[in-house]
Amino acid sequence: MTSSSPAAPPSPATQRPAAPAPALSQRGRGIVVSATRWGSRTLALAYLSLIVLIPVAALATHALDHGLGVWWNAVSQRESLSALRLTITCAAAAAVVNTIAGTATAWVLARDHFVGSAALNAIIDLPFALPTVVAGVTFYTLYGPHSPLKINVTGTWTGVTLAIMFVTLPFNVRSVQPVLEARSFSAESAAATLGASPLRVFATITLPALLPAILAGAGLSFARALGEYGSVVFISNNLPYRSEVASSYVYSLATSGQVDAAAAVSLALLVLALVVLGAADLTSRRVSRGLS
Amino acid sequence: MRRHLLRGLVLVYVGALIAFPLGFIFEQVASPGWSALSAALSNREMTSAIWLTVRVALVAVPLNIAFGVGASLWIVRHPSRFTRLLDALIDVPLAISPIIIGVSLELAYAQNGWIGRPLAAWGIHVLFDYWAIVTASIFVSLPLVSRQVMPLLRTLGTHQEQTAQTLGAGRLRVFLTITMRSIMWATAYGVSLTMARVIGEYGAVLVVSGNIAYVTETLTLNIGNNFENFSAYQGFVGASVLALASIVVLMVLSYARHRERLRHEYRP
Repeated sequence: MTSSSPAAPPSPATQRPAAPAPALSQRGRGIVVSATRWGSRTLALAYLSLIVLIPVAALATHALDHGLGVWWNAVSQRESLSALRLTITCAAAAAVVNTIAGTATAWVLARDHFVGSAALNAIIDLPFALPTVVAGVTFYTLYGPHSPLKINVTGTWTGVTLAIMFVTLPFNVRSVQPVLEARSFSAESAAATLGASPLRVFATITLPALLPAILAGAGLSFARALGEYGSVVFISNNLPYRSEVASSYVYSLATSGQVDAAAAVSLALLVLALVVLGAADLTSRRVSRGLS
Repeated sequence: MRRHLLRGLVLVYVGALIAFPLGFIFEQVASPGWSALSAALSNREMTSAIWLTVRVALVAVPLNIAFGVGASLWIVRHPSRFTRLLDALIDVPLAISPIIIGVSLELAYAQNGWIGRPLAAWGIHVLFDYWAIVTASIFVSLPLVSRQVMPLLRTLGTHQEQTAQTLGAGRLRVFLTITMRSIMWATAYGVSLTMARVIGEYGAVLVVSGNIAYVTETLTLNIGNNFENFSAYQGFVGASVLALASIVVLMVLSYARHRERLRHEYRP
């Protein structure tokens, strides 16, 4: 299924030399090719359905099985609302901090070359590669009750935000960095030559060009933070009404047999994340249009 | 001067947020000395958990490579309204919390679930078993290969393949020597992300595995369990094993990115 796509426009390359093989065997080969193609497509669809689509459909069905009223009742429980509020607030706070820090990091990586900038570039991806539970236990030990730094933020919004900041920084950096690398300095240099201060150059030239990428990165960060579990569950201490994040609340519902309520809160969280990701996707499409 | 200030601020931020915690893991592991470390490394429950994680990755990662490359070729080379829908659906796992992934799988694969019931009629019980962990690992890492491969395939086009075919190369040869070769480093990048996600998954596996020591306890679960049972040192030793694995992944990532960039620069 690599080439000779039926949708491809006719090109000079398709004028092949006369085939030495007889016509019948060529047709036979054609049947084998299309059988392989449709066979592998069916397999791929079955794989996607069995692992992703049917389970997610089952979740949505369980959530809405007894009507929207029952769904809303489960979502609007006090514990649920306070978990959702905590999650959204911490995700937004982390997204704001990382938008500033991530943009600065992307700028340094794209425009400032120094000894160690390659190492900086590599370590930015660490939160992608490091398992969340490893981040979780590390942050709990560093900033928990036995902290060697004498900082204890367990059970607080600060602790949750800190863990989220660690996990989501790469999204902010990696969204902005390629845009900065693709842009030339010329407009900035011209403005500086004409006497604009560095701050003015940044605010009037660099920032407007980067804004879609920055927003897309913030959206990705925020959506990821909404569902974060492994990295926050230790430092948050999971105190209901105080420091319990949404995914942790869903887990406690699911393990205490309230599967339908777990499905209801899950659906709310999932829809929220999809909306944010959709918005981020739209803005990043604008970014790639701007790049090309 | 201003540039140095910004550089310094960024280094402090990234250092404090990322590098310092990473170093702290290894400091914690090394500080009690060699005998404590070797005892912890030979802990039977942990080695069994490591082995389970490896067994899960050996199945989940190849399946997701095959799916990721195949689906990318289908979506990019044979575009239709259906493949556009498929393109959107493949990315769904990235929007879902690991815990919610676990709950979804639990609902579908339970004895009375949509998939679990027919399977139970065949005598197959997926939930709280090795295959549940494999399924959860596949779910969380499903889009990671195709997201790297698809943009590249879009920019590459099919001219080289058409030329090779005109010159008489068979389909398999075209696929192996042209298509796979040109997407090799993008695939490697996606595979390392997949690998990292599979060996590091916690939330989804926690829900569907049952977390039974020696049976369905992966290394991430083992770390969490040790931590909750006040065996923090044992937990840190497990965490350092995973951290080392993710550093290896990171090196592959940056090498793959480097190769990909070289390829782009030399493209006429």
